[in-house]
Amino acid sequence: MRKLIEFKNIVKSFDDSLVLKGINLSIHENEFVTLLGPSGCGKTTLLRILGGFISQNEGHVYFDDIEISNVPPYKREINTVFQRYALFPHMNVHDNIAFGLHIKKQDKQMIEQKVKKMLKLVNLQGYEDRPVTLLSGGQQQRVAIARALVNEPMVLLLDEPLGALDLKLRKEMQVELKKIQQEVGITFIYVTHDQEEALTMSDTIVVMNNGEIQQIGSPTDIYNEPENRFVADFIGESNILEGVMLEDYKVKFDDQTFECVDYGFEDNLEVDIVLRPEDIDIVPLDMGRIKGVIKSAIFKGVHFEVVVETPYREWIIHTTDKVELDKEVGLHFFPEDIHIMYKMGTY
Amino acid sequence: MKGYASLVKPYILWMSLFIVVPMLLIVLYAFTTSGNELISFRFTLDNFFRFFDPVFIKVLLKSLEVALITTLLCIIIGYPIAYIIANASEKSQTLLILLITLPMWINMLVRTYAWISILSDGGLLNSLLGFIGLPQMKLMYTDFAVMLGMVYNFLPFMIISIYTVLAKLDKALIHASHDLGANPLQTFLRVVLPLSLPGVISGITLVFLPAVSTFVIPKFLGGGQYMLIGNLIENQFITVGEWNFGSAISLIMAFIIMASMMMTRKMDRDASENTGSEGGKLW
Repeated sequence: MRKLIEFKNIVKSFDDSLVLKGINLSIHENEFVTLLGPSGCGKTTLLRILGGFISQNEGHVYFDDIEISNVPPYKREINTVFQRYALFPHMNVHDNIAFGLHIKKQDKQMIEQKVKKMLKLVNLQGYEDRPVTLLSGGQQQRVAIARALVNEPMVLLLDEPLGALDLKLRKEMQVELKKIQQEVGITFIYVTHDQEEALTMSDTIVVMNNGEIQQIGSPTDIYNEPENRFVADFIGESNILEGVMLEDYKVKFDDQTFECVDYGFEDNLEVDIVLRPEDIDIVPLDMGRIKGVIKSAIFKGVHFEVVVETPYREWIIHTTDKVELDKEVGLHFFPEDIHIMYKMGTY
Repeated sequence: MKGYASLVKPYILWMSLFIVVPMLLIVLYAFTTSGNELISFRFTLDNFFRFFDPVFIKVLLKSLEVALITTLLCIIIGYPIAYIIANASEKSQTLLILLITLPMWINMLVRTYAWISILSDGGLLNSLLGFIGLPQMKLMYTDFAVMLGMVYNFLPFMIISIYTVLAKLDKALIHASHDLGANPLQTFLRVVLPLSLPGVISGITLVFLPAVSTFVIPKFLGGGQYMLIGNLIENQFITVGEWNFGSAISLIMAFIIMASMMMTRKMDRDASENTGSEGGKLW
């Protein structure tokens, strides 16, 4: 895939606070990229810099190998779906979608055709004459997407577009957005703080925190091979522990030595270790590698969230089996379930 | 809340006594001949017929013309000012709005007197002209002076009501417009202007209605011969002593004001329906 957008050492501060601390990132054609992070991590700021609504203090933005830092937003081949949609309240659905085409002074018949096509794409046929103020959140969302896509941009920016919708609608729209992206075949850059949303839709996830990129990778990479404690903690629930890498394939934590599949660390290096709750099994006492007592079990729908207490810590375990409270049990996991990470700031 | 309902009663009494009763008296006067006694009224429509004299109609038309031009000038001058204020930093917005409203703290009569001393033959402006060696200008008792006084007095209302709407305008809409390829001018014409119409309309109400019936400004800055409908009414009551005719003109005026209020309200409703917001409604 061809490289379409490149951020080079982007620095941005508001007043005295540094929001972006030197971001380097490349985005390719047809890629669904998600900028993921807690609020205040700088993800929306990065998106706005790309849209041209704010400018960076340092660094360069390249689009198709051309520097666009000084190009005003209305001359960029990028369209945005805004956080609260920002539909024009004085226009109906049709005129909102046709806005960009009218500005480009396109032929009337052409406009009609394209608007029709877009309404079909977002499943809103027959809504042309509705005032946008009378639409539901989900419908406004679709109009906002249609209004952006009708201009046939090379890149679509989406700024937490599903934030205002309820859970069920959000899940539907996630699937639909992914479908739309595959249909129109353009680059989507999606900003969210919802890790599940990111895992569901993205080709590439960029995890950000405190104005820095923590990890770039596919959803499975990010989930299974988090690079540090922050990523592991932010993406899904985890047991994160501290330990020592004795030598290749051997890690020590909770005063026991375990076999693992990681290598290439310095001997006796202090590391962070992740064990996902669904990778740990509760087994009879004598079959476990760690022994503990079941403290609580909360029914979560598909699974139980079980807390097992050992002398060292509390473990979170997801299991579909019913468990008995206060029972002494063993915990079992395989070497490949242990994931070793460098401590933050040591690599 | 219910307990507070009875608190409205003194106001009702106050309003009936000092607003409704005098208004009824005006209606009574308008429909009767002069020389009424307390018990016997002689009803007539003559007072109204009398108004349809070319001389008076001309005064009415002149009043409408002056009010209309005042309103237009207020929009033309006020809109850019409101726009600039609405786009200033929050701190300067407060300061600028304060500056705009500051003159309103002083009585309108006093402010109009101030204009006399600025515009009169030996006044500030002519002294300045003389000082830099330019010929003197006749400024007082001209259309220019009246218009200046009117615009000066009513401009703040226009600015404030447009500013209120512009300041509330969602900046994301402007970003969205840029995002869709519209340059700043196109964005203004297609997004900002249509969305700020409710503010312009309430501004029109706030400027046109008082402007059409004002009598202080034309009297002081236009001189005795400058006759607008407000002055005509004032004359009938104070100089001529024709209370019946004066009341009839007042009623005609009230009718015109009501009609134009209904018109602007309808425009306002249409505009807010289109923008889907409650923006710009000052009442």
